[in-house]
Amino acid sequence: MPQLVAPDVAFLPMLPILLVLAGALLSTLLGFWVGRRTLTAINIVAVLLSGASMVSLWNGGLSSFAGGLQADNAAVLLGLTVLVGTLMTLLVSLDTAWRERVSFPEFDAMLMYAVTGCLLIVFSGDLIVMLIGLEIMSLAGYVLATFQGSRRAEESGLKYFLLGAVGSAILIYGIAFVYGATGSLNYAAIAARVGSVSNLTPENVGILVGGSLLLLAGFGFKIALVPFHQWTPDVYSGAPTTTFLFLSTVVKVAAFAGMLRVFGGALTDAPGWASTLQILTAATLIIGNTAALFQTNFKRMLAYSAVAHTGFLAMCLLGTPELGGAALGYYLLVYTLMTGAAAAVVAALQRTEAGFEINDMRGLYYRHPGYAIALSVCLASLAGLPPFAGFFGKYLAFQAAFQNGYVWISVLAAITSVAALVYYLRPAMLMFMPDRTPAREYAHGQRFPTTFTVGLGVAGITVLGILPNVWYSWVANPAIWSFLAGR
Amino acid sequence: MFDPQWLPTIMIFLPLLGSLLILLFPDRWRDEVAGFMSAVTLGLGLMIWYAGGSGLLSLNWIPALGITYSVELSGVSLALAMVTAFMSFIAILYAARRIPNPGTMLALILAMETGLLGIFAARDLILFYVFFEDALLPSLLMLAIYGKAHRMRALVKFAAYTLFGSLLMLVSIIGVRYLGGSPTFALVDLKQNLVTGPAQTWLYLGFLTAMAVKLPLWPLHAWLPDFHEQNHDSGIPDVMGTLYKVGGYGLFTFAIPLFPDASLELRPILMGLAAFTALYSAWIAFGQQDWKRLLAYAGLSHMGFVALGVFSLNETAVIGAMYLLAFQNLYTGALFLSVGMVQERIGSLDTRVGGLMTGAGALGGLTMALWFASIAVPGFAGFIGEFSVLLGAYQVSPWLAFAAGITTIAAAAYALTAFQTTFWQARPLGGVMVRDLIHTEWLILGLPLVIAIFFGVYSAPALNLMQPAVKSVLAALGGN
Repeated sequence: MPQLVAPDVAFLPMLPILLVLAGALLSTLLGFWVGRRTLTAINIVAVLLSGASMVSLWNGGLSSFAGGLQADNAAVLLGLTVLVGTLMTLLVSLDTAWRERVSFPEFDAMLMYAVTGCLLIVFSGDLIVMLIGLEIMSLAGYVLATFQGSRRAEESGLKYFLLGAVGSAILIYGIAFVYGATGSLNYAAIAARVGSVSNLTPENVGILVGGSLLLLAGFGFKIALVPFHQWTPDVYSGAPTTTFLFLSTVVKVAAFAGMLRVFGGALTDAPGWASTLQILTAATLIIGNTAALFQTNFKRMLAYSAVAHTGFLAMCLLGTPELGGAALGYYLLVYTLMTGAAAAVVAALQRTEAGFEINDMRGLYYRHPGYAIALSVCLASLAGLPPFAGFFGKYLAFQAAFQNGYVWISVLAAITSVAALVYYLRPAMLMFMPDRTPAREYAHGQRFPTTFTVGLGVAGITVLGILPNVWYSWVANPAIWSFLAGR
Repeated sequence: MFDPQWLPTIMIFLPLLGSLLILLFPDRWRDEVAGFMSAVTLGLGLMIWYAGGSGLLSLNWIPALGITYSVELSGVSLALAMVTAFMSFIAILYAARRIPNPGTMLALILAMETGLLGIFAARDLILFYVFFEDALLPSLLMLAIYGKAHRMRALVKFAAYTLFGSLLMLVSIIGVRYLGGSPTFALVDLKQNLVTGPAQTWLYLGFLTAMAVKLPLWPLHAWLPDFHEQNHDSGIPDVMGTLYKVGGYGLFTFAIPLFPDASLELRPILMGLAAFTALYSAWIAFGQQDWKRLLAYAGLSHMGFVALGVFSLNETAVIGAMYLLAFQNLYTGALFLSVGMVQERIGSLDTRVGGLMTGAGALGGLTMALWFASIAVPGFAGFIGEFSVLLGAYQVSPWLAFAAGITTIAAAAYALTAFQTTFWQARPLGGVMVRDLIHTEWLILGLPLVIAIFFGVYSAPALNLMQPAVKSVLAALGGN
């Protein structure tokens, strides 16, 4: 008779996730009695507490569920990045949710459920936990994209749901293949089996390659890697701007964290995926950047810029886990800050949910000087101009790919960056051109929480640009990233 | 006891501090703050010169990435930094009077000065790249805020060209360190860990692209005329634009020491391109009817000379190129400002207005003298530069030197024709009398001219400054 073994449950490593989950549950229940703004305040506190508990896990190396949940340093660093994006979303939603017609408690609840899922991915130690997190995140994300009762939002939500579901299905299929090839779902165990391919029989190598390619495709949907990116511009620009902020930063950070765990940890030594990823990355760089060049709507351009940045971020995955992980750890935070701040400005100033046309930004500097300067700093950083942090992010991505032998993709990235520069600079410069036509912004958008968010983002990218060590010294230690699969 | 190593750092960031102060101070103090800050910066430059150059200051900036904060102002870089500081001062002097509500412009000039000084002082490749890009932002903003109707096209063109080059340079920079195995990006370390073989040539090409855009070298020059044409009429952004020509300097300081074999290998092709650039742009300049475009092409032609000198890798020619690079800024910058004054008076940048001399004799006279400097009449600094370049280049490739030499004749032709049709000829019927130079305008045109004459007659101080630096750089080629 088999012995019943109590599962290894440690609460401390789960605490950050549980705190966020508590925020979600509170929002669900209290929503009947208190207003949404109070809930948002509660959630901000939950996020801050979760961050504090995460910091306390630093260097702890704790795990739970027999390695199914890893609270290692990599999880802490990426988890903090997720929380920064969440905080920015919550702050902006304080001001703009009612204008976006999503001002009801369910919005907060769904947001926090999505964050719970994101953190589960970040902390995942095996494929099932990762999948559960991914599904929670995705399902909540579908709802968030649909919340606003407009045709555009419904269309974008449906599109997101259909394509996201396909992505998930492919991912699950891939997980099954990997399990079939290695006989385990645990990252560390998979890495140990894969590490010496001779352990696997030749048939199993084929299954492993198939599995990792399916996983790549599944993740490709979530991070908007070309050719799995088609939903991105429609969903991002169709969803309310606050949701856009959330989807393009937090969800992407979590998906990249999952990729880092799977491809940088479990499947590092598996054959096949890297050469496929480099081709997809190249396609992302080319298509993302050139498509953004032709957008006339600023929000849609930001959506394509998110696709283009996927290409730069994916270059980090091509590096060795040590270099690439460090690069990704730095870049994701910077990306969150700059995209978040830019979206916050759009959320504050747009008249309709479609954002504004790039031509309408002419002379913004003379109407909203603070926001215009902040937005141009964000755009300069997104374009990778020093002294803003985007430059070092890009630099680290180039370096990670270059040092792992992907020279041609670094050169390609450099060339496509020129297109990026053009589409970021056009709005940035238009803002400073004198203009006599009446303003086309929403006049009452400048409120404290949004301004604070924008300030946070701009201060972050400036400080991290001039003194990258403030964050990079934390993520630079290669030891953090060499045990992505767990010990 | 104060350590003179810190002087370059103070000199670099003082203007930036000034530009932030301008935003804080009340409007009526802005001119004084800007003038004071730029004057102090220039004073610091003179102090460093008096001390015989500063030592190398090297701090760890981002240890995890091997990026250092290494700055030094000595030799060629000191000369270029001082010319930059001087012309920024002149530009501020002019902007304060010419531009209504000049706060933003003054702040941008100072911000750009920081970027430029940083470029000249940087002794670490990443730091160099950072300043290289930083100087771009204020110049783009000047164009965006003060430019003319078609500025967006000019702006996009300018930015796209520049970034195309510099991003390839960034990849090269990563390659130089990684393939050479140097512990840091500091120039000292990189020089001891050179990349060899074909990889060096490829990396050099990446580096070269950035420099060729900035120089600019044919065929990467197309942004330049539009950039100048669409900029503000006063010519102040153009002064900063001419200071922007850091390509020659970058090639000299970084490309020759880091890619010695590749420089030698590609020498004939690059010299040919440079000579062609000089001749071709002089030819185009001849057909221009807009003063700014004409000056842009004239500057392009000078830069062809600079490139010819640097690429020839001959000591005389390189010294000449650096001499020309430094002093070309003075008289071309002043010419841009004089064009701005003409525009202020007659409201046109056309080269065929005629009769200006009757009203504005002093303006005409000073402009003519500056043009003499520009076309390298003996007795002006430009002559020493161009002559040395030709002398040195002749030793390497006589035919190319001869071809480039024709440029001097073409230069005289385009400069004097344009001058003649603007200032002499008959005054147009109904033309109003124009005002002559007043107040600071005398200084603005006069000071650069005086310096150009001084160093044209007595070149020893500048040559003494540059010669050791050039010698040490060329030593990297192994005696050539």
